[in-house]
Amino acid sequence: MSNSAAEDEPTTVEPRVQARGVERSFGSGTDTVHALGPIDFDIADGEFACIVGPSGCGKSTFLRAVAGLIRPSAGEIVIQHSDPSRVPLAMVFQDYGIFPWKTVEANVRFGLQVSGVRKAEAKARAKEWISRIGLSDFSDRYPAALSGGMRQRVAIARAMALEPELLLMDEPFAALDAQRRELLQDELLQICQADRRTVLFVTHSLEEALILGDRVVVMSARPGRILRSVDVPFERPRSTELRSTPEFAALKGELWDLLRGEVTVGGAA
Amino acid sequence: MRVNHGDLILLFRRPSSAERQPREYARRQRLLRIGLGTAVPVALVVLWQIASTRGWIDSRLYPSPSRLVGEARDLESQGKLWPNLWATTRRILVGFALGATAGVLVGMVMGVFDTLRWAFEPLLNALYTVPKLALLPLFLTVFKYGEAPIYALILTTVFFFVWISTLEAMLSVPEGYREAVLSLKRSRWQLFRHALLPASLPQIFVGLRITAGVSVLVVLGVEFIYGGSGIGYLIIQGKTLFIPKQMYVAIVVAALLGIACIGVVDIARRLAIPWAGRDRSRSRG
Repeated sequence: MSNSAAEDEPTTVEPRVQARGVERSFGSGTDTVHALGPIDFDIADGEFACIVGPSGCGKSTFLRAVAGLIRPSAGEIVIQHSDPSRVPLAMVFQDYGIFPWKTVEANVRFGLQVSGVRKAEAKARAKEWISRIGLSDFSDRYPAALSGGMRQRVAIARAMALEPELLLMDEPFAALDAQRRELLQDELLQICQADRRTVLFVTHSLEEALILGDRVVVMSARPGRILRSVDVPFERPRSTELRSTPEFAALKGELWDLLRGEVTVGGAA
Repeated sequence: MRVNHGDLILLFRRPSSAERQPREYARRQRLLRIGLGTAVPVALVVLWQIASTRGWIDSRLYPSPSRLVGEARDLESQGKLWPNLWATTRRILVGFALGATAGVLVGMVMGVFDTLRWAFEPLLNALYTVPKLALLPLFLTVFKYGEAPIYALILTTVFFFVWISTLEAMLSVPEGYREAVLSLKRSRWQLFRHALLPASLPQIFVGLRITAGVSVLVVLGVEFIYGGSGIGYLIIQGKTLFIPKQMYVAIVVAALLGIACIGVVDIARRLAIPWAGRDRSRSRG
């Protein structure tokens, strides 16, 4: 099949991810909960996109639909997979992502293993990523012996070692304390600035989104829709010191005004 | 779904019929679940019938299902079916009720009081490993004759199964639930009532479900050796007097009895812990 055959197909698109009219409901009949959408959302190749929204707004639902863990109830998501030798996407979960019955090394190697990477190469890549996240001394330990922050670094290393074309992160730092959060944000910045990745990052923290993202998408309370999409103007390479600048505070304040209404409308949700 | 365009592969995330018509989909899944659950045993019975009538298997040793139905009617008209079924059912009911009650109580008490657990767990563990059927002669000596030795044997078997699963369930209650109570009130009773009991019930019912099946097994074992009544007696009589039809009828009745026992536990579970939902595999089935 030649590339020209693709022209009459509306599905060949520039962006890495293109979502059109995506909706998702849960349950059936009278118990139906309309959780998400409809939303349209593109992620360009190499873009770090952040979704921020109140809890229950369906932002994780959208992420899971992109990952293929659930299907949308309506609409369509198209993901480009341009290099068949690479993994199309990998996901970092908030919790339960890493296996307590595998050592740090085996956890990082797991993703490579199931993707069919040869053992020798998988070992080398796992080793490299473990050292990049600074856990070389813990390589043979089990997650039970690690702190929460260290475990989440393992989860990130597992996804990054795959070198996926699209990296999905579902509130990866939500369970960490504020200090560890900042440290890990800094680490993730370093990693993503060192080699550019397409990332879809879901968080409930505006600050986190503004520090990490090229673009921040603010979502409404349930059923989640896109309220606003902002290109983050801060130059890269960034560091977490960015948060003490007045420009940062101004932008954060502006978006927070938008979000505040939704959080209160969302009520207990 | 994947589509190739030259070097470019596109991954699509689109609604399937499950999302477009969730009700219709749920209904179809339900039908499929019930249909498959029924079709597999029915197909086996049909296969058995065909094999028997076509002479693939020796129908004197392995009578066909249709002949078994006739034999079941005969057994009934001879007055052998219902009294024996009731004898077995009564033994299970009494033995299971007593054994399970004792097992749950002892397991719970040992789950709440560490000292009692330290005192009795090693002993009970040692007794747990004794094959209960081997105790039948002992029970016969102690209780002489009648139904008592049979009840005692089923009770003992059920007790150990239920005790061990109850204790494990109590000990594996997550610390968070315990602390939620203890932070407000340092009372063992409140701890038990609000956290340990409800949190361990799902696991306890798993134990009861397994034990319900095991108790049928044990009662048949006893009836093979001792009793002169019951489904197990019908089976062993069918074997010794060479009435294979009676043996098979009794085996089928025993299987149905086992299903009924597990069904009763499942109903009790649904009533006792409506909040627990069903396990993932079955809710998805």
